[in-house]
Amino acid sequence: MSDIPQISHGDLWSREGFREDPYVVAETLEEAGDAPAIILPLAVWLGLEDEVRNATNRKIGVSVAPGESIEPLLASLDTIPVIALQFPAFNDGRSYSKAEMLKNQHQFKGELRAVGDVLIDQVAYMLRTGFDTLKVSHSVTLTRLADHNLHDTPVYYQPGRGSRSAPGTYSWRRVPSA
Amino acid sequence: MYRYDEFDHAFVSARVDQFKDQVERRLAGELSEDQFRPLRLMNGVYLQLHAYMLRVAIPYGTLSSRQMRKLAYIARHYDRGYGHFTTRQNLQYNWPALKDMPKVLDELASVEMHALQTSGNCIRNVTADHFAGAAADEVADPRPYAEILRQWSSMHPEFSYLPRKFKIAVTGAERDRAAIQVHDIGLHLKKNATGELGFAVYVGGGQGRTPMVAKKIRDFLPVEDLLSYTTAIMRVYNLNGRRDNKYKARIKILVHETGTEELTRQVEAEFRVLKETDLKLPQQDVDAIDSYFAPPSLPLRPEGWSELAAARKADHSFSIWVDQNVTPHKNPDYGVVTISLKPIGGIPGDATDAQMDLVADIAEKFSQDEIRVSHEQNLVLPHVAIADLRIVYDLLLTDGLATANAGLITDIIACPGLDYCALANARSIPVAQRISERFGKPERQSDIGELKIKISGCINACGHHHVGHIGILGVEKKGEELYQISLGGSGDEICTIGDITGRGFSSEEIVDAVETIVDRYLDIRTDKEETFLATYRRVGAAPFKDALYSEAANAA
Repeated sequence: MSDIPQISHGDLWSREGFREDPYVVAETLEEAGDAPAIILPLAVWLGLEDEVRNATNRKIGVSVAPGESIEPLLASLDTIPVIALQFPAFNDGRSYSKAEMLKNQHQFKGELRAVGDVLIDQVAYMLRTGFDTLKVSHSVTLTRLADHNLHDTPVYYQPGRGSRSAPGTYSWRRVPSA
Repeated sequence: MYRYDEFDHAFVSARVDQFKDQVERRLAGELSEDQFRPLRLMNGVYLQLHAYMLRVAIPYGTLSSRQMRKLAYIARHYDRGYGHFTTRQNLQYNWPALKDMPKVLDELASVEMHALQTSGNCIRNVTADHFAGAAADEVADPRPYAEILRQWSSMHPEFSYLPRKFKIAVTGAERDRAAIQVHDIGLHLKKNATGELGFAVYVGGGQGRTPMVAKKIRDFLPVEDLLSYTTAIMRVYNLNGRRDNKYKARIKILVHETGTEELTRQVEAEFRVLKETDLKLPQQDVDAIDSYFAPPSLPLRPEGWSELAAARKADHSFSIWVDQNVTPHKNPDYGVVTISLKPIGGIPGDATDAQMDLVADIAEKFSQDEIRVSHEQNLVLPHVAIADLRIVYDLLLTDGLATANAGLITDIIACPGLDYCALANARSIPVAQRISERFGKPERQSDIGELKIKISGCINACGHHHVGHIGILGVEKKGEELYQISLGGSGDEICTIGDITGRGFSSEEIVDAVETIVDRYLDIRTDKEETFLATYRRVGAAPFKDALYSEAANAA
């Protein structure tokens, strides 16, 4: 299979291509050991002391399940390096709204990551709602992304970030009426 | 009407290419049926009992002659020579092969059509009053707003994986012909005291196994806030709608479980955040879309009235058709013609390729090149000069399209039912056909007056039985098809869900049962002016139940 070389370059995709994921996903701080970059579940992250969360010797990111609210993160957005929004199933669309709110409404500047059932057919939606990185395991998706085949359309009706570099607006503002 | 610009063309053709690729991957086994399913659904491809079915979007039910001819062409070349117009103003092909789907979509794209978002858990084809832009009673044309919503919702990045499908309907008249109160969002375009346009916003209506009338959460939303407010509703729903149970996933359940007041509070809070963003619609945006829907310039044809009087006198059948199927137009020299797709004993909503071609020809010559599809599964010629009614009628007659039954007891809505649908428990079409035959005599129908019968072959209620004046629901009980009757439903501005009468009737009994109800109505109405629905609202279910069940008991 042609996807084997890509895996050797890592499974974290961004518009620059694949790279190794610097983060270790752990259920608890203890489990992460001395890893320099960790992603913890929201409930665990919420239980951490401020000085642990903001320690300069390592990065601690947060993983948010579809049923969890992003509300408790809002006060700390400046200091969170990565928020991983989960897609336990490709058709659970709650994380799209959270991405939109984090990036557009709350100007989250850190890395916004999609994890879980990340399939090629949803990649464009993810980029357009503001995801920066995708954690990919599905083999067809790995191959397609490696080929830069984003399964995208050249134009969109809505303004969006990500999949298009040109700043968008609404279609009816882009094209003068006949 | 709306014409695609280069933007729409680029979008639709790219989507066709995407779907071609998806079909190829499915046929190659790269995609499992589970993974392919949501993708084919977003392109309008269903898997039915016997074959794949393609549902073509007809935005707000508006078609040009060229588009109608293309639909006929596809029916002829890729299907079995007919198509089925649906209650969402769409068209379904029942027999296309999966391998042909990309070709069919290419054909559609060549006339600015597609099958996007006619299924799947996304925002579906936006519907509107089928008399929009023509009806005499209209405050403003709802289609520009439906078109704005169509563009905004097409492949929406945030709202393409909702808990469940999402349906929006818009009307621009007090008389609600678009059934907005049984939609996820219903928008009633109206003017406030100072003459500005805005919307009354209804949320959480729907049929299915838990029928609910929508709640009004805004009495007047300025037009400029249409998209920000809609986005707020969608976001609250996307985040909080239930995903644990597909039968409780529609927004009506969220509204019900959250409470209208609390849900409104959440929507308004989100709206405050979104109000001043680029979702705001400045007047020039609305004007840009409005210009596509400029009313056609209709020449004065005052001679029509005397001609009409003479033609009516000469031909009683024509006269009945005019009474029943022609509705007042904004322009007094014109009328809005309903083409019934309910011939006596026929399949509601079906049209052959030849019929589609004929309607296209008539529309081109006599209706400003415009055709509408109604949610009642009929076609509409929106701008016909009174002077041309006779010739239009004669042309319609040539291919069985002049049935004078719009709004009458044989103008039945029926879902495809067990004859086609994988979800159905019972057949709908044969019941509709038998009822139509029983009441088919013109004098009898005319005497009974306005009466809407709606038939669904399962609890999903695609045949809108909950809002039928007489609703019929097919269920399966111990391997037999059984039909439950409900009475007093209505999908118009005074929206009500019908009351179930009691135990169901077998396929053999159901037509007699309907006749029993109709006979009782004729007995107890105050006069011919009192419609079935008005009578039911006055007397309630008791006299009808009495007739149904005591007679049945007597017969047993």
